[in-house]
Amino acid sequence: MTHVQALIDAIGLGAVYALIAVGIGLVFGVLRIINFAYGQLIMIAAYMLVFTQGWGDVIAILIAVAAAVFASLVMDRAVFRPLRNTSPATVLVATFAVSYLLQNLALLRYTYQNRPVGDSVGVLGGLNQAADIGSLHIRWITFVAIGTGAVALGTIALLLNRTSIGLQMRAAAADFHTARMVGVRANTVIMAAVAISGVLAALSAVILTVQSPQVTNTTGLSETIFVLIGVVVGGMTSLVAATLGGFLIGFANSFLGYELATQGSTSQTAVPFTSGVYLPSVIFVLVIIVLLLRPDGLFVRRGRAPVERV
Amino acid sequence: MRRTVDTLAPLLGPALVVVLFAVIASQTVNAADDVKFRTAIVSVAIVVALYVFIGNSGVLSFGQISFVAVGGFAAGLMTVPSDVKPGVLPDLFPLLRDHSISNAWSLVLAAALGGVFALVVGVPLMRLSGLAAGIATFAVLGITYNILTYWTRIGPGATTLTLIPVTTDYVQATIGALAVIAIAFAYQRSRWGRQLRATREDPAAAQAAGIDVHRQRLGAFVLSGALSGFAGGLLVHLPPGSITTNQVYLDLTFLTLAMLVVGGVHSLWGAVVGALGVSLVNILLQNGENGIDVFGWNITLPQGSSLVGVSIVMLAVLLLRPGGLTGGREFGLPRSLRGRQAGPEPPAPAPEAGV
Amino acid sequence: MPEPLLVVEGLDVRYGPVSAVRGLGLEVHRGEIVGLIGPNGAGKTTTLHALMGLQAAQAGEVRLEGRPIRGLHPEAIARLGLGLVPEGRRIYADFTVAENLQLGIVGRGDRPGVEEDLAWIHELFPVVREFRDRPAGALSGGQQQQLAIARALAAGPRVLLLDEPSLGLAPKLVDTLFEALVQIRDRGVGVLLVEQRAQRTVALAARTHVLSNGAVSLTLAPSDAGDTDRLIAAYLA
Repeated sequence: MTHVQALIDAIGLGAVYALIAVGIGLVFGVLRIINFAYGQLIMIAAYMLVFTQGWGDVIAILIAVAAAVFASLVMDRAVFRPLRNTSPATVLVATFAVSYLLQNLALLRYTYQNRPVGDSVGVLGGLNQAADIGSLHIRWITFVAIGTGAVALGTIALLLNRTSIGLQMRAAAADFHTARMVGVRANTVIMAAVAISGVLAALSAVILTVQSPQVTNTTGLSETIFVLIGVVVGGMTSLVAATLGGFLIGFANSFLGYELATQGSTSQTAVPFTSGVYLPSVIFVLVIIVLLLRPDGLFVRRGRAPVERV
Repeated sequence: MRRTVDTLAPLLGPALVVVLFAVIASQTVNAADDVKFRTAIVSVAIVVALYVFIGNSGVLSFGQISFVAVGGFAAGLMTVPSDVKPGVLPDLFPLLRDHSISNAWSLVLAAALGGVFALVVGVPLMRLSGLAAGIATFAVLGITYNILTYWTRIGPGATTLTLIPVTTDYVQATIGALAVIAIAFAYQRSRWGRQLRATREDPAAAQAAGIDVHRQRLGAFVLSGALSGFAGGLLVHLPPGSITTNQVYLDLTFLTLAMLVVGGVHSLWGAVVGALGVSLVNILLQNGENGIDVFGWNITLPQGSSLVGVSIVMLAVLLLRPGGLTGGREFGLPRSLRGRQAGPEPPAPAPEAGV
Repeated sequence: MPEPLLVVEGLDVRYGPVSAVRGLGLEVHRGEIVGLIGPNGAGKTTTLHALMGLQAAQAGEVRLEGRPIRGLHPEAIARLGLGLVPEGRRIYADFTVAENLQLGIVGRGDRPGVEEDLAWIHELFPVVREFRDRPAGALSGGQQQQLAIARALAAGPRVLLLDEPSLGLAPKLVDTLFEALVQIRDRGVGVLLVEQRAQRTVALAARTHVLSNGAVSLTLAPSDAGDTDRLIAAYLA
């Protein structure tokens, strides 16, 4: 493993996290809701891949996308919409509850049938093999991740900037009240944002399951937590800032993980922060420092606060 | 006399409910379920400690369980008998390894450590609000979990800390919970508590009125940290006398936060109601997992259903009563203590992710 | 006199226990300007917001071209032909002028004639073409006001509501604004104009209602524009 290899791997993880960040950021933009249960959309898509083993990769992926979009729309209708005018803490705890509900429902699959936790996915499994380029030993899926990330982000940028529905979504995110006043249909933009975030969740699931073919009831959870942190650090008020934040935390996680593992101590009783196992602490400390210096977000212009949803 | 009862009702109500709960449980519950009911009482302590900060300041903190963890592990570690400790935990710092203290002192230690840790963390973090505060406090939780899980010089690391004396019986749990409730009540009636609540409604106006927002938040944060640590000490001395870092991390954070929000985040009564209520649902469902008789039908729920059930109950309460079961009202009084209109909290989308 | 485009009867708007608008009634016909003036806090903005569906009204009837619209969502009301130029303009500063205008077109729904309307709007407010690719925030106050009106007109509304459009504008710009209002009126749009500048409004509008403490206390005709005493008395009522 060289530095170049570590860098490329880090970009790969950053790309996946960026996809998740856009999914979370779109929903936050129009709904002002932080969906803690986003990880479960990834989980649902991953389980679809499990259930459609042998149906052909393309079909399996399409079904996963459909399932994630459907689940996302149901979440909006059942949970977000009734709670539209309540305090952000109530909504956050509600999404927590949804997250726990779905995680434990999935767990029933194993406890009810009394079998060990975990199913394996075979979709696109071939991409988990490595390509040898010169001295670099990189898995194909890393390139696919970067490519998919770039294409997906590019498509969404085009959608937001060049289409009417995209313009309406941006307007709703910037000033929802005024958007409705000029005729933007609230439910339409919300459904669009929710549906797109479902698609992104499915894409992330496909990439993640290639890298880790074991699907459990906690699939998607730790990624979502990290991306949520990254999005807040990047800046929630702007989709670009949020995406950069997601990318950054994925990149940092991967690259710092490599650095700590290779340069750090391997002793059992190593002092905190000096060994690879303390990677989360290093990341979290950096997060705290950034938040103290730039509480509105690293990539956001100073003095901008999230627009109030009236 | 009437006046005194009126002003003390918000304290007496929750306190009496806890005592009643303990008395009934201790007399009627069978030995197998004993632990669960004692745990329910300890969770009252944890949730009230949580409320002391979140309810009064309006700032959502995900980090309070790290104080429970620190207090719990410290109390547990220092009460493991010093003759067996070096054998099971050879990597500990000598100070920790070769000494042990009594249960009572361990609770004092737990509270002290919780408070000091909260002070260290709070000085920088209390400048933040909203989303930034939430994430930053979550980061503290993550750091605490990470270090406790891997640094074998201060604890068992990833293994279970066992051989902790089981000293939290009904009496101790109840007294502990009552102490936390009483301190929480005293705080919210005090000048500092009132000042902090003023910042919750309108930070700018409060500041203009001369209230030092940072200092008041820090005060509540430290108090909450100490109380959380103390509750951690109670927690760790419950049967089976063991603890792992996973038990004081995400699941407990979610559970206690949800208990608070379900009960009603703005009142002491809400904290107590939420803790006991959700605990009861949890216990009922867990027993369902072992098989119960309902009208002659034997029902056995699959493992893990209890968490599904608790989540559903929580969602239902939030959807039907977003202000929580108590709506943020304190126990008993027809008029609110603070001189505001009684009634459900008005929905107020705030510009930050505050409470 | 043909049917009025907008009819309001017995409008009641309350904020909790506080009554902001009580029993308000008015009409706006095709090709006429109706004024609504009054002291601060009288309920003028509340009235416009209630008509637009941005604020819930507790009682009363509002009919747009005969259709009842009270209780509908703002976006539905916009698509039915009511447009609002809100106080403070509320344009999207980070979007380009062209994008702001394009947003206005969203509210057209199925209404035909977008090409002609746009052509007319560009004639009326040349600034829209001149600055089309600049961020709207770069425009001056007066230009932003023109953009806000242009945006509302892009939806092809039957009735246009304006909330204090002259606020913060220099006198010369106020002239330009009022001239534009005349042109809008002459094109057949019904205009309900909320203003602080009592005299100019009374002189311009076919009728001007004086709103005081949430109710109409007086209705003035253009001939009353010179009668300062009457105006002052109306405000203080």
